[in-house]
Amino acid sequence: MKKIILGLAIAAVTLTACNSKKTADNQNTNEDSQTVNVKLPTSSDTVKAVTFNDVLCYYLRIKNGLANDNGQEAAKGGKDFVQSILKIDKTSFSKVQNDKWNDIASDAQEMAEHIGENADKLEHQREHFEMLSHDIYDLIKLLGSSDVMYKDLDTMYNNGKGAYWISESKEIKNPYMGKAMQTSGSIQEVIK
Amino acid sequence: MIKRLIIKILLVAGIVFIAIQFIPMAKNISLKESGKDISKVVVVPIKVQAILKNACYDCHSNNTHYPWYSHVQPIGSMLGIHIQQAKEKLNFSEFGNYSNRRQISKLQGIANSIKDDIMPLSSYKLMHKSANLTEVEKNLLINWAQQTSDSLSAGN
Repeated sequence: MKKIILGLAIAAVTLTACNSKKTADNQNTNEDSQTVNVKLPTSSDTVKAVTFNDVLCYYLRIKNGLANDNGQEAAKGGKDFVQSILKIDKTSFSKVQNDKWNDIASDAQEMAEHIGENADKLEHQREHFEMLSHDIYDLIKLLGSSDVMYKDLDTMYNNGKGAYWISESKEIKNPYMGKAMQTSGSIQEVIK
Repeated sequence: MIKRLIIKILLVAGIVFIAIQFIPMAKNISLKESGKDISKVVVVPIKVQAILKNACYDCHSNNTHYPWYSHVQPIGSMLGIHIQQAKEKLNFSEFGNYSNRRQISKLQGIANSIKDDIMPLSSYKLMHKSANLTEVEKNLLINWAQQTSDSLSAGN
């Protein structure tokens, strides 16, 4: 019983952590101090079960890193993303969800590995981030998200072919263009 | 005194070199067709196929064309490990075993790594002049990979 309460308490703390990041994003106009405010569950956190929300948090960390042209931050997010994918608790998944998860997550894992290994190559990270965004979108559709998410579209990336990303806030912060054109793009879909 | 020492070191080095030549090398040559080769799964024009075979298949397929120096150890073993890792990332001979999603992202990865000059590796191009792709060849490959990836995505 004690264990359960402890687990719940930790889960609650982590959940608030992810959420407080969101408010920080909205309130804070200084991008650099924003990264300081991002509090994420660390991969050494073995007490609580890793959920899809954690996976999503690390994706958003990659996204915010790229939007700030910060390859190091994106790489950290990529590495933690891989760990969360490997450790996720799938006991509540249905058979169908489990099969689809295995397919999508193995792809997502590979993309995140590339992002994690190329901290000094922003453009290379962005190429893999584009594919990772497809995976994350499909995973949200498969498993749902506790918060409202936004599918944002950049029509110019890839020589006008366009690319999308998933965001936690209404505010546009373009991870493909970075600081040069951070606010370019538009909300294509609100995922509830 | 020093001369003797040098001779001794050379002798030992020579013996070690001869000894490691007996380390067996597992050759990456598969005689039977897997039936899962990329050309069986998607449309691969002859020109594209020629470039792939010429510049990619040595490491990214089940059939390596071994140069003479690969029969010398430790180069042979190093190449063996390298090929193993390359095949884990992408294996054209087993392309049909990838899920639809993986096929799409592998093709995009091919286009991107050619575009960014990550592939073929510069160390490979050093030893294989013909893997130094011309702009025309690169564009041919990039366009093919992108179009194929797009058509697979549209098929979903």
